[in-house]
Amino acid sequence: MCTQDNPNRIVIGVIGHDIHAVANRVLSAVLEDAGFLVCNLRTNNKIQDFIDAVQEVDAHAVLVSSLNGEGENWCPGFRSQLAEKGYENLLLYIGGNLVVGEADETEVVSRFRSWGFDRVFYGATDLNWVISLLREDLANGAAL
Amino acid sequence: MARPYKNNYLPSFDGIRSQVLGHPKLEGVIDNEVREYLAGMQDECFASVRFSRPHHSPYIQPRGGYATFDRQQKLTKALSEAGADFLPLTIDSYTRHNDYDRAQLLLEKSLGDGKDYLNGYPLVNHGFEITRLLFTDLNKPVSLRHGTPDARVLVEMAIASGITEIEGGGISYCLPYSMNYPLDRALLNWQYIDRLAAQYSTPERPIHREFFGPLTGTMVPPAMMIAVSIIELLLAAEQGVCSATVAFSQTGSFFQDVATANVFRKFSAKYLQELGFTDMKVYLAYHHWMGAFPPDRRKADYLIACASLTAKIIGADKVITKTRDEAWGIPSIQANVEAIQETNYVMSKFISTSSLNSPNIERESQLIAREARSIIDAVLDMPGNNFWYSVNRAVHMGIIDIPFAPNLANRNRLLTVRDGNLAIRIKSAGSVPLDDTAIEEERALLQQYPSSFISTADQMLGDINVML
Repeated sequence: MCTQDNPNRIVIGVIGHDIHAVANRVLSAVLEDAGFLVCNLRTNNKIQDFIDAVQEVDAHAVLVSSLNGEGENWCPGFRSQLAEKGYENLLLYIGGNLVVGEADETEVVSRFRSWGFDRVFYGATDLNWVISLLREDLANGAAL
Repeated sequence: MARPYKNNYLPSFDGIRSQVLGHPKLEGVIDNEVREYLAGMQDECFASVRFSRPHHSPYIQPRGGYATFDRQQKLTKALSEAGADFLPLTIDSYTRHNDYDRAQLLLEKSLGDGKDYLNGYPLVNHGFEITRLLFTDLNKPVSLRHGTPDARVLVEMAIASGITEIEGGGISYCLPYSMNYPLDRALLNWQYIDRLAAQYSTPERPIHREFFGPLTGTMVPPAMMIAVSIIELLLAAEQGVCSATVAFSQTGSFFQDVATANVFRKFSAKYLQELGFTDMKVYLAYHHWMGAFPPDRRKADYLIACASLTAKIIGADKVITKTRDEAWGIPSIQANVEAIQETNYVMSKFISTSSLNSPNIERESQLIAREARSIIDAVLDMPGNNFWYSVNRAVHMGIIDIPFAPNLANRNRLLTVRDGNLAIRIKSAGSVPLDDTAIEEERALLQQYPSSFISTADQMLGDINVML
C-alpha cells in the first residue's frame, strides 16, 4: 500500500541512442514535486535497463520517453519482456516524438498500445495532465 | 602551465590512423585517392574558401538528413535550389553512437518499407562512393552535422565523400551528446579529427572546422558557450587547423545575443593572438533557437524570423536554420525549403550598416567578457603537460559546467535563470570560477529585472519553455 511515507516508485528514462536530457530532467523534477519517488535512468536506455530498474526499486510504473523518434525501433516487445519477469500488470507509459518524421497520431498510438503501453502521449504534452492520469491509474491498481 | 602551443600534434597520429583505416567500413578509403578527389573539386565546394570571400549577409546553412540515398538526394537538390549556401549532411543517432550494425538494419528496413526508421543519413553505411554523388555538380560546400563523441570513422568517411566542413569538438560533442562516453577519450578522438582535417588541408583550400557552441541549447550562459568554443578553437589550432567557425545559439534575449557576438569576436582574436596562432582564420555562426520549439507552426515561423533578423544584425558569417516542424520531429523537405526562403527573405530585406550599441549591450558585453575570461584563463592556468588534459580536468572539477548536459562527467552545479528581460542569468556558479564582481553583477541584473516566477519548478519550466 502506498502512503506518504511509502510513495509510488516511478522509473523514467529516455529510450535508444537518444540524448535529449532536458525534458527528462523536467519530468523528474515535476514527478518529485508531485510526491513520487523517481528512479531516473536518464538518457541512452534499452528495454533491459528499464526492467533492471523496475526489479531494483520494485516500481509501480514506468514512463518511457523518446524525443528523437527511435521509440518505434526499440519498443516492440516491451510488455512481453516485462511480463517475462512477472510485471504483466505494471503501468507502462510512453511519450514524446515516438517515430521518425510525421505520422498519423491514431496509427502511432495504436501501434504502441499493441506493444503493451497503457498510455501513449504523442507530441507535446502537458505534464500535469500526465501526472493526474498517473495518479488515477495507480489508484485503480492495474494496467489498463 | 599547459598552454596550447603551435605544432603540439597528437602523438603517434599515423599509427592510430592506420588502425582507424583498418575499420571494415573504411575499406576503400585511401589517403592519396581522397587527396586527389579533393584536389579535383571546385573552389566553391570548400567552406574555408567561401568564408574567406566577401559576403554581405550570413550564409544560409540548413540542417537535414534522411535514411536513404534517394530521399537525401531529393532533399539536397531542393535545399540547393531554395538558395542554401551551405548544404548539410545530418547523421542519424545510431551512427552517432557508433552503432553501425543497427543503422544498417534500419537502413534496409527503410528501403524495404519506403519509410524512414533513421533520423539522419547513415553515412558510414552508405559509404563515400555513393555519397559523393549527392553533391557533384552543385558546387556548394557541405557541412557534416552530427553529435558524435568518437567520430573518427565518420569523419574519415565524410572527407572521403568531399565534405569540407566538420562540425563538433571534444567537449561540445561529448557532454551534451552522450551519457557514459569518457570525456578524455572524446577529447583525444577530436584531436585526431583536428589533425586529420589539418593533414587534408592545402594552404589555399583548408578543411574547415566548426565548434558547437550551443551545447545543450538550454539555459547555457553566453560565457560558457564562448569559453567552450574558444577552448575547442585552441585545441584545433594546436593540431594545425587554420580555418574555423565559432558558433552560438539564440539566447532568448536580443541584447544578450548582440553582446555575445561582440565578445566571441574579440576573444577569438585575443586568445589566438596571445598564444601565437596567427594564421588561424575564424568566423562566427549563429544558430536559430536550439531549445524547446513551439509546436504551433505559426509561432515557430515568428521565432525563425526573429532569429534570422538577429543573425543579420550581429553580422554572423553563417546562420544555421531550424524549421517550423522542429517540435514535431524530423522536418519534411518542404519545411526545410520554406525555412531557407523565410530566412533569406528576412535577411535580404533588412539591411543594417552599422554595429549596434547601447548601455544595456555594453553592460552585458562587459559582464560576459569578464566571465568568459575567468573560465578560459582558469583552464589555461592549470598545471600539467597538455592542454587537452587540462580541459578534461576542468570539466571534472566543474570549471566547465554545462546546464542540462547528460554526460556523467558534467557537474550540473551551474544554475541559470531568465531575468525579466529573458536574458540568461547565472544564479549559482557552482564550481565555475567567476569572480565576486561578476556574481554581484548577475545578482544586480536579476534584481533590476526580476522574473515573474514564484516557485523554482515553475521558473525552470518557464525558462525552458520561454518560446512556446
